[in-house]
Amino acid sequence: MTKRIRSKIARGSAELAILALLAEQSLYGFDISKRIEEKSDGALCFTLASLYPMLYDLEKRGWISGHWEANQAGRDRRYYSLTPAGKKELAPLRREWNFFFQALDRLAGVTNA
Amino acid sequence: MPDWISLVRERLHPLDLPENERREVINELAAHLEDLYEEQIGNGISQSQARESAMKEVDCWHPLAKDIQRAKLKEGIMNARTKQLWLPSLVSLTTAMLSLMSFTLLGVQPRLFYAHHAVTTLYFPWLAALPLCGAAGAYLSRRAGGEQLACLASSLFPAATLLACFFFILLDSIFGTGRALTFSGFLLFVWNWVFLPGTALLLGALPFLRPRHHETPSLA
Repeated sequence: MTKRIRSKIARGSAELAILALLAEQSLYGFDISKRIEEKSDGALCFTLASLYPMLYDLEKRGWISGHWEANQAGRDRRYYSLTPAGKKELAPLRREWNFFFQALDRLAGVTNA
Repeated sequence: MPDWISLVRERLHPLDLPENERREVINELAAHLEDLYEEQIGNGISQSQARESAMKEVDCWHPLAKDIQRAKLKEGIMNARTKQLWLPSLVSLTTAMLSLMSFTLLGVQPRLFYAHHAVTTLYFPWLAALPLCGAAGAYLSRRAGGEQLACLASSLFPAATLLACFFFILLDSIFGTGRALTFSGFLLFVWNWVFLPGTALLLGALPFLRPRHHETPSLA
């Protein structure tokens, strides 16, 4: 049970991180993992094995879409961008996580730690 | 520089996807490893260490292949066939029937034609509206990723439905208790209610029947 909750939290936070990042600009897989690592000061790390099944899942749900395009080095990479359905999904997802953190804070005093 | 595509292809052999999709996944994962490898080289790490470090991204390839396959093949509320064929077909059929109903309710009179002891009707305003219905079906199918055939079938669905209806009427007139219908009369009905509407629907669908390009670019 605990493992399932943990895995759900991890998955949910990873989805939010990806969607929030793609809301700013289109990025390809390697770029997404680097940006998330940098922006979270290394707290969130994606390996290839954890990133791509999630990207394909989000794509299947219609929240992101991928297309091949040359990157700055002139190499073809598959860029992902947020779809209108993904944009619609992002706002309630942000609210849910905000609500979750506030509840956790009231319960465990996370921000005072 | 390692041949990342070959490396990934060898390790992802349990990945059971359509060839195009499989190639695309292999190219994408190989590109990721290539970027990682080059980043490590840029940080002054030796080639063998950089390769080893990149390969550490995946502990075990078999579960990864299964995870990717599950994510790629998972069907949403509607599967691809529903989105690419049935839903657009339903839209073209509904709009075609609603427009016919509207013209009838507005009192638009059909033209009557007599031929071979049969009388049939033609709604010219309806025929003029049909390209829009065909275009709606083909557009929705194409937007959902439908191939040419799916777009064509979606746009022509109202004509196919009418043809099926007329076959039932013909069978009923031959074997059942329905009013007698001559074969020439049937052909006249088919011409007026299937062929002409089908042509009008096809006219609307034409802009959406361009072939798709499925090329997956190669790395570097």
